Amino acid sequence: MNRIEFMTELAALLQDVPEEERRDAMQFYNDYFDDAGEDKEGEVISELESPAKVAGKIKADLLGQHDGGEFTETGYQERVSLAKEVPAAREEKTGGQDFGNKGYSYRENADGAGYAYQGGGQGNTAYSYEKDPEEQKPWSSNVLKVLLIIGIILVGAPIIIPCALAVVAVAAACVIGLFCFFFALVIGFAAIAIVGIVLFCAGLVALIPEIAVGLALIGTGLILGVIGTVGTLACVKLCIVMIPGICRGLVWLCRKPFHRKAVA
Amino acid sequence: MVFNTGAALLDAIVLAVVSRDKEGTYGYKITQDVRKAIEVSESTLYPVLRRLQKDDCLEVYDRQFDGRNRRYYKVTEKGAVQLNLYETEWKSYSSRINGLFEGGESV
Repeated sequence: MNRIEFMTELAALLQDVPEEERRDAMQFYNDYFDDAGEDKEGEVISELESPAKVAGKIKADLLGQHDGGEFTETGYQERVSLAKEVPAAREEKTGGQDFGNKGYSYRENADGAGYAYQGGGQGNTAYSYEKDPEEQKPWSSNVLKVLLIIGIILVGAPIIIPCALAVVAVAAACVIGLFCFFFALVIGFAAIAIVGIVLFCAGLVALIPEIAVGLALIGTGLILGVIGTVGTLACVKLCIVMIPGICRGLVWLCRKPFHRKAVA
Repeated sequence: MVFNTGAALLDAIVLAVVSRDKEGTYGYKITQDVRKAIEVSESTLYPVLRRLQKDDCLEVYDRQFDGRNRRYYKVTEKGAVQLNLYETEWKSYSSRINGLFEGGESV
């Protein structure tokens, strides 16, 4: 048995004592191992004998049974028999855990920040306590979280997916509409210019039979041609300015939800 | 050792050990110091410290040490009074026993 196994088993055995007591005891023995140093780890464990014994003493004291034992030359002799309940609990708790696992952590329910082991029996392993206000069992919390997330996705999917599609469709429609609007402006002014040119030509043709009509047509054609050319150029310029702006706006809109997610 | 260490005497010893450090001291050191005086198993000390803490004889605080939080124990005023009582009691108790052993005179 190494330190991690010892502490895990102790935590498991202390599941039925008040949370504050468990936290305090865990902190004490965690400190104890840290202060004893890695090289004395085995010594400490053999001196403490077993997590069951340590847990038994803590529980006996909590029950106010510390007077039920006595200190003799061989140490503290317990009159309260804790051996009966402890091994059963121990088997049940350790069954689901993989002690060989290096990067393993266990959860301690509390509200503050977690505390971390320093040394360790397995060389450079880094392990930490994490605290979870709801979860009692050391290993099932992650699984529960994943299940919860899957559950939320399953329940929310019929609502979220159509909504998301609708939002995307509306956004796409707006963008396409904007592009069409600018495109239409350009086309419109280009058409005016073309009409102007056509009228100018028609005016030239009409000049021979009827001078007045011909001159009027030429004049109108020239005015329309100028308006059309100027309008087309102005619209092209407008598009050059507006389209990159719209693109930038779009990119910003697309990024926004992800940014918000990252912050939250 | 053939004599038993009762709960009260153990409390007294732990209080005495902790009170030697004005700034307070930590679990491992307390255990080692107590074990220099009497034979107790390491797992015995934690419940004693916890009980003394609950009885307001000891107070705890965490201090950074070597990149981690280490829990320190310190004797409170109530603890000091209690220790004083234990010391007085022990003096009279041990002197009576000594008197018996050494001279047979009643004290």
